[in-house]
Amino acid sequence: MRTDNIQKKVEETVLSSYEAMYRLAYTYVRSEADALDIVQESVYKAIKHSSSVKKEAYIKTWLWRIVMNTALDFIRKSKKEIASDTFYEDGKEDSYQDFDTLDALNTLTEKEKTVVALRFFEELKLNEIAEILNENPNTVKTILYRSLKKLKRKLEPQPTEGAQKYE
Amino acid sequence: MNEKKLEKMKQDYENIKIPQELRQRVEAGIRQAKGERSEIMCENKDKNKAENKKSNFMVYIGRAVSAAAAALLVITVMANSGAGIAHAMSKIPVIGAIAEVVTFRQYESAKNNMDANIKIPEVSVKNQDGTVNEDTTQKINKSIQEYTDEMIAQYEADVAAAGESEGHMNVSLDYSVITDNERLFSIRFDELLVMASGTQMVKIYHIDKQTGELIGLSGLFQEGVDYITPISENIKQQMKAQMAADEMVSYFLDSDVPEWDFQAISADTTFYVNENGKLVIVFNEYEVAPGYMGSVEFEIPTEVVQDFVQEGFLR
Repeated sequence: MRTDNIQKKVEETVLSSYEAMYRLAYTYVRSEADALDIVQESVYKAIKHSSSVKKEAYIKTWLWRIVMNTALDFIRKSKKEIASDTFYEDGKEDSYQDFDTLDALNTLTEKEKTVVALRFFEELKLNEIAEILNENPNTVKTILYRSLKKLKRKLEPQPTEGAQKYE
Repeated sequence: MNEKKLEKMKQDYENIKIPQELRQRVEAGIRQAKGERSEIMCENKDKNKAENKKSNFMVYIGRAVSAAAAALLVITVMANSGAGIAHAMSKIPVIGAIAEVVTFRQYESAKNNMDANIKIPEVSVKNQDGTVNEDTTQKINKSIQEYTDEMIAQYEADVAAAGESEGHMNVSLDYSVITDNERLFSIRFDELLVMASGTQMVKIYHIDKQTGELIGLSGLFQEGVDYITPISENIKQQMKAQMAADEMVSYFLDSDVPEWDFQAISADTTFYVNENGKLVIVFNEYEVAPGYMGSVEFEIPTEVVQDFVQEGFLR
């Protein structure tokens, strides 16, 4: 009974947050088809293993964790096929006024991407992110600051100036 | 960090285009997982009435269809014969005398960029004296019928759900006879469901013509022996060897989520006997490996089970 109940809750959570799951997956792989695969597999894992969620309150963080692990596993296995920085040549970025700022995320490691996406885009709390990453909150904070520095350098219009500003 | 830049990034993130297909894919994921979960529940029930092979069989069909994914269905018919007759029969060409595909029907449909092409064969099983084995013939055809009926119903429901909008779906089912020797006649169904990317599911059915019953893996072995441990251990060894040899290969084994790792096969694990007479264990997509691995198969060396396998099944 309890299992069925939890499974139902997981399913509800999935159905109310699959768009967010997709966005996070897309942030990693930047490909519609791959992100769809990752979401489908994550959903499958979540429903199938729903009995391993201890408390209802953890469902959301647990879902994030599944999406992240599935995406990272996917990337690890298809590393050669993922184009990281190849979409935009240097210089081309500046000429496009409206260029996709998400490309800046490519300067980050996967873990840094996760922290930035969950903290700023999905507005999770630091300790929730720590739980998802299985790190302590201080480490997450460190990762966050390091990521922001990197992003800043990438997003500043003049790269040389940006490189000299450390804050 | 410039707050505006961060805001712009957040906006870009929120503007990530959600593909129309996403909802379907989420539902497909749920269906796949639920199909397997309901099978687990039914298996537990079946343990209480171990003889109820028929319900087991139906459960498999339910699973394959509820998964609405590429499925592989093999029906294995054992020659209805005692040892002496089997010996005599080995001298005559068996094809047609034991079991054959006599005819097939085809379901075809194309609408709004969705299409289906489903072939439905009809099998005839005969006794040695040439008379039709009504019971087994009926059982096989009934299960094929139910399997394809549900597949068609699912397709039609999906078309209806898409309404006037363009769908992107392709369902096809084809079959082929993969084994046809003195003892075995196996017909395999390949179902492929494509929605942007294809998914693959595998299910295999076996009928023991000696008893006229559907059999599972245990039916290959002497009663009461532990075949699960040696086969499972062999599969784990193969997984490890493959992962060590090729970093593109990944199984759920020694992973960072131990509770999802492959532990052991079960009595209802999918299998078939290949052209070399070797036992092959089949896992559905996602079952023991990440989705990109598709469905995976392990050929079990006959030495692993030779002490307790029944005569005539494996080489």
